[in-house]
Amino acid sequence: MSPSQATTPLATPEAPLYNERNYLNEKSGVWSWLTTVDHKRIGVMYLVLVIGALFLGGVFAMLVRIELLTPGPTIMSAMTYNRMFTLHGVVMIFLFMIPAIPNVFGNFFLPIMLGARDVAFPRLNLLTVYLYLLGAAIALWGMIHGGADTGWTFYVPYSTTTVTKVAPILLGAFILGMSSIVSGLNFIVTVHTLRAPGITWLRMPLFVWSIYGTAIIQVLATPVLGITLLLVAVENVFGFGVFDPARGGDPILFQHMFWFYSHPAVYIMVLPSMAVVSEVVCAFARKNMFGYKAVAFSSLGIAFVGFFTWGHHLFTSGQSTVNAGIFGVLSMFVGIFTAIKVFNWTATLYKGSVAFKTPFAYFCGFLFFLVFGGMTGIALATVALDVHWQDTYFVVAHFHFIMVGGTMMGFLAGLHYWWPKMFGRMYPEGWGLVSAVLIILGFNATFIPQFLLGNMGMPRRYYSYPAEFWPLNVASTAGASLLAFGFIIILIYLLISLKHGPVAGPNPWFSRGFEWITASPPPTDNFGPRNPVYTHGPHEYDKEASPVPAGSPPEAPHAH
Amino acid sequence: MANPSAPVSHDEEERVRHISASRYYVVWVALLVFTALTIFTARGVHIPSPWHLLVGLAIAVVKAALVALFFMHLWDHGGTTRLVLVTALVFLALLIGITVLDNATRFELSNPVNDRNERFMPPGPDILSPMAVPRGGRLPERSQGAGETGGAPARPGGGH
Amino acid sequence: MRTEAEVTHGGEGVPHLAHHYSNLEMQAHAARLGMWLFLATEVLLFGGLFTAYVVYRYTFSDTFVAASKLVETHYGAINTVVLITSSLTVALAHHFVEHRQSRKAALLLAASVFAGLVFLGIKAIEYTHHIEAGELPGRYYSYEGLQAHGAAMFWSLYFLMTGLHGIHVIIGMGVLAVIAFRTWRGAYDDGYSTPVELSGLYWHLVDLIWIFLFPLFYLI
Repeated sequence: MSPSQATTPLATPEAPLYNERNYLNEKSGVWSWLTTVDHKRIGVMYLVLVIGALFLGGVFAMLVRIELLTPGPTIMSAMTYNRMFTLHGVVMIFLFMIPAIPNVFGNFFLPIMLGARDVAFPRLNLLTVYLYLLGAAIALWGMIHGGADTGWTFYVPYSTTTVTKVAPILLGAFILGMSSIVSGLNFIVTVHTLRAPGITWLRMPLFVWSIYGTAIIQVLATPVLGITLLLVAVENVFGFGVFDPARGGDPILFQHMFWFYSHPAVYIMVLPSMAVVSEVVCAFARKNMFGYKAVAFSSLGIAFVGFFTWGHHLFTSGQSTVNAGIFGVLSMFVGIFTAIKVFNWTATLYKGSVAFKTPFAYFCGFLFFLVFGGMTGIALATVALDVHWQDTYFVVAHFHFIMVGGTMMGFLAGLHYWWPKMFGRMYPEGWGLVSAVLIILGFNATFIPQFLLGNMGMPRRYYSYPAEFWPLNVASTAGASLLAFGFIIILIYLLISLKHGPVAGPNPWFSRGFEWITASPPPTDNFGPRNPVYTHGPHEYDKEASPVPAGSPPEAPHAH
Repeated sequence: MANPSAPVSHDEEERVRHISASRYYVVWVALLVFTALTIFTARGVHIPSPWHLLVGLAIAVVKAALVALFFMHLWDHGGTTRLVLVTALVFLALLIGITVLDNATRFELSNPVNDRNERFMPPGPDILSPMAVPRGGRLPERSQGAGETGGAPARPGGGH
Repeated sequence: MRTEAEVTHGGEGVPHLAHHYSNLEMQAHAARLGMWLFLATEVLLFGGLFTAYVVYRYTFSDTFVAASKLVETHYGAINTVVLITSSLTVALAHHFVEHRQSRKAALLLAASVFAGLVFLGIKAIEYTHHIEAGELPGRYYSYEGLQAHGAAMFWSLYFLMTGLHGIHVIIGMGVLAVIAFRTWRGAYDDGYSTPVELSGLYWHLVDLIWIFLFPLFYLI
């Protein structure tokens, strides 16, 4: 980084409104992007990739919903329908949900929030991008050549005997798992070793705490998925394996091994969203986080206790009643930590000074959906109730409430909150609120009917259904269309804002988050030649005397 | 880890530097001794089941601890790396323990057919063992009698 | 939270020090921690297979005991000694690098690679014997001497677990060979021995896994 830079890019009052020499244009050319080790560029590359994955998964979702518009065949055969919902699940979970927030915002902001100039292993960081691409390519190849029809959960013995292209999709998922592991490893080491002087563990931004919890799960759980999928692929391709009942195999063993990862995986999906929400709540209520330690440690609580609960996916599979009892009780415990967070976020709002901007709108959606989705989760964890709801649309609605209502809202909140920091330009606030409303309404219209359908007994993954379920299915598809429309609007105005949006300045939200001390967009080395030193904690809105990053207090004339 | 810029003290680094190579030889000999011991306790003497399993595992754990602590330097280097290995082992124990608890407490006939539960099988042809589903997912044609259609294992001892 | 500045921009002029670390100790500690995290993932990867093993050993205890008598204990014992010794040579190699005796260290690393080769050779002999006897996984099992519930499962697990372990031995040999070559050329010394240490850790893990595979398949 050349010390002869004319202006210091740190966001002092003299900071430039738009940082001219930033990480985006410092080096140019495709090769500089393909070989970059800059965590910010890697974050942007992931942004492009996960948005592509989101739209691909969304296309599969719309195809599924269109097929379900009528009780009989609508636009495809049953076999194709099985492939559609499988691919929807595989693409959404492995290519979007798991990587999105950690690899986009975690990569971009975790080092900056810790005062570091990069993650612990920058070259490994680049490797994760290529592993993601390789895994996605192999899985896509499998999809194009017919795809799998097993459901994203690949239950044996069907997945070990089906003729569809399960093996490439499993191999793709294995490689994507490697990307996830390396990414998590990188973040853990970064948090342990690269905190700037003054940032103790209890002064880390809450975003970092939750990403750290996510990384722990990624490192501990993903390898078990890897070996499980590998075993299924080996059994499918070579015909020798450990799940074949005729050779003494136990199909429920597959389910144990699979869900040992896949339940913590849902916390990989939701913890980063909670990470974003912690940041957004403090910034838009202009208040310190109520109960910082509780929120911080509850991230670790979710990460660890989430490992004790996997058997609740096996309640109706033939698991022993002893196990069912154990897992039923343990599954209740994990809700405690989410509740701690929810209460603390709400308490933060109390007597705060709320600015109802787009990120805050998504937070409102998030809170509502997380609470109701989470409560239906606790209901499902009750063994006696799950006997009625297992494998119905009730479960589908529950996890979509958390995935879309929770993770997706968090992703969108983070995208809008940090868009001006990442690209130096502001998105149009009016359109932001409009699409937030569309998405929240569309989401409700899509998934509330599914709770009702599930409770009425409509099974999931079914191609046809009795006529009594028809109206609710139509309602759900209508909602899905609205949801899709909202996403398309977001994509359009974000792309337009890259070129034509108003310059945002270093801190358009007057946030006290650590990442706002640097310029927008940040310079390649994050802070310029001077290392930042930290003397206060994060989210400190009660210390009005200390200098506000960039510009002026909220009453300044150019605040919007 | 209060001061992020110095996780290992300089003294510790110096101490590591001054370890002599003899400790490695000592550990190596110990490992060989334990290897001989485990072979002896398995093949040389007869230990009743299930204790033979426990003895074998205990010796393996001791050997693994020696490798981890001394060859891999966990004895010298600080807390975080130890915590990483211990955490992994704890969660592995959780996975194995609860999964095998399932098999141990299940309704016995929903376990794979084995020596313990085959006596509960009803008499007559074996209709409870799942037939092997052939590759391609299509079930074989129904054939007469207790068909060896694709590998249903004949029960040893026959029905009676 | 403000930006007083010390112009300590790490990396200027210190060999091997990356720009975002403030000193070499921190970087070495980070590398070690990263490697241990990776080893933890390997433990859990094999752990899935160990889970299957425990479940099926519980289900088919007598058959597993009978089948393990068919696995040749003497080969397993030799392989155990070979791997333990190769762990010793790898540990000594790192020790000698830290004491600036790179040539000795490189020879020890080469010896470790050779030990890996011996290990794989013996496993190849064993595999051949098993294939000839029909002791094969899953539906290929055709050994007449043991036709009981779970016999095929034992061999599925045997080949899967020792096979995955063998793949890791091959990877470890490759890594050690590269590091041995660079050690011979004097790339590492007491100031910077991290690659030797990390590749040693990987090799020790390979040994650790075998320490458990040996009794589980050969002895009990």
